[in-house]
Amino acid sequence: MIEFKNVSKKYDGAPAYALKDINLTIDKGEFVFVVGSSGAGKSTFLKLMMREEVPSNGTIVVDDTDLTKIKKRDIPKFRRRLGIVFQDFRLIPNMTVFDNVAFAMRVIGTKEKKIRRRVPYVLSLMGLNEKARNYPKELSGGEQQRVALARALANNAEIIIADEPTGNVDPQMSYEIVDLLMRLNEAGTTVIMVTHEHSLVRCFDKRVIILDKGSVVSDGGTLNREAATSHINPVSEISNEYVVPPEEDYSAYAGFSAEQGSADEEPFEIAEEFILTGGDE
Amino acid sequence: MGKLGYLTKEGFRNLKVNKLMSVASVTVLFSCLMLIGIAFMLLVNIEAFIGGIEAENVIMVYADLDSTEVDYISLGNRLESIDNVAFIEKVEKEQAYAEILSELDEGLKSYLSDINENPLPDAYRVTVADMTGFDAVVSEIKTLGGIERVYENSSLARQLSGIRNSVTYISAGMIALLLIVSLFIISNTIKVTMFSRRLEISIMKSVGATNSFIRWPFMVEGIIIGIIAGLLATGAVWAIYEFALGSFTSVLSGFGGEVQISFLDYALYLVAAFVGIGIFTGIFGSATSIRKYLKERKFVELEE
Repeated sequence: MIEFKNVSKKYDGAPAYALKDINLTIDKGEFVFVVGSSGAGKSTFLKLMMREEVPSNGTIVVDDTDLTKIKKRDIPKFRRRLGIVFQDFRLIPNMTVFDNVAFAMRVIGTKEKKIRRRVPYVLSLMGLNEKARNYPKELSGGEQQRVALARALANNAEIIIADEPTGNVDPQMSYEIVDLLMRLNEAGTTVIMVTHEHSLVRCFDKRVIILDKGSVVSDGGTLNREAATSHINPVSEISNEYVVPPEEDYSAYAGFSAEQGSADEEPFEIAEEFILTGGDE
Repeated sequence: MGKLGYLTKEGFRNLKVNKLMSVASVTVLFSCLMLIGIAFMLLVNIEAFIGGIEAENVIMVYADLDSTEVDYISLGNRLESIDNVAFIEKVEKEQAYAEILSELDEGLKSYLSDINENPLPDAYRVTVADMTGFDAVVSEIKTLGGIERVYENSSLARQLSGIRNSVTYISAGMIALLLIVSLFIISNTIKVTMFSRRLEISIMKSVGATNSFIRWPFMVEGIIIGIIAGLLATGAVWAIYEFALGSFTSVLSGFGGEVQISFLDYALYLVAAFVGIGIFTGIFGSATSIRKYLKERKFVELEE
């Protein structure tokens, strides 16, 4: 469980609060979208959760760990419980797909024998078995993001934190990425995904936290088409910035089968069943 | 492969990936160490040269002409008991007289041998251990009784110890300066390497690698640069020294000087010192730049 209690964050020298008086709880195994326009405080929210920043006020507790009190030397250990996915993938260009995933395990001192079992397994979950020997530049955006996801899974993350994971991939693959995150979530992983793509969020019936100017302006509703209109419908009322032009109609991809592939992406097969601890023994 | 093995391999990979930077820092560090080596060998030689002259710079202590055998021996004992006296050497009057005679031409020699009386006193040749205390030894000797005369060349002693001091200070200053430059070079190289590998470092931090895990490959890189530069510098100093020996021996022998120092006597010290300096600058240089880097850079550079 992740708990934000009266959390505020003001950066040194900044005129305003990046986050102000945030109170929220994310349960274990929950899937949460965090949406907001640029400057809303989404990144600060993530940085606080990764213990990259400390709040100016309030407390953040992740399970039994109070992030405002955690000792510096315990931070790396805490981060091993997280799987972080970035918008720009952050793959190492001169390493193969296999090594990119293995890298996350090597740098925390995992034995090579275990790495050789675990990496192919997480790659197979992401439908990337065939690409293990390829370099990132030989992959499409969607494939690269799946490698990043595989890397986040390599160390059995309890919480996946995805910062705009669909920002650099085509709409169809965006849907696929979120779908993969959903499946990870179904297998028990807590997923927190930050995005500004409302139309994508609407395709999934999940909790949405809306941030604006550092405050939570809506929490608990969904942006699901039906739900959005009936439940919170905050969009035009709160801020004009939330009226996002209809970039893509992601709903067209709902029910999309990965094997079909898309114009830019190779078809791929993901595992039928997500047993996240696979390859561990 | 163990954890340490992996990290060490990473250090070598760093070097390979940043080939140009590695070659540049090895070259500059090598130049610094070579200059240190040359300064050191110069110092050693000047020390030996001055030491040679100093050994010749003795105090002659002449006993009273009417002193007995016992007085002469007791004077010797008292001289020996003075601090800072390295050793004394008996110059008995018969021996001194014979030496003088042997240096004279035949006419004078036969004239003097006709006198049949030795006009010289018994004497001691006193060698001082530390030349800076030369004057003190002389004045202490002058307080002893039973002495006809003390002969010394204190101005030469002072000059020599002055030269020795300046040589030591200048060399030490140069060596210290070059060490600082070496440290700066290594830490700069590591900084550049870290910057060029910031993506990897950010990923390492985000997946929970400890700072020491992140640091180790960079330290290995610094150490390898240090060792390579150290070994090359030792070789270069050797070559330069041998070349200089060949050129200067004939010149020096013209002045009656002689170069007796062999590079090989110091080779082991130099290698040890150079590799030590390399390792030290490697560890220290990388540690400081890494600490600064890890402190300043956050792994998440997210856009709001």
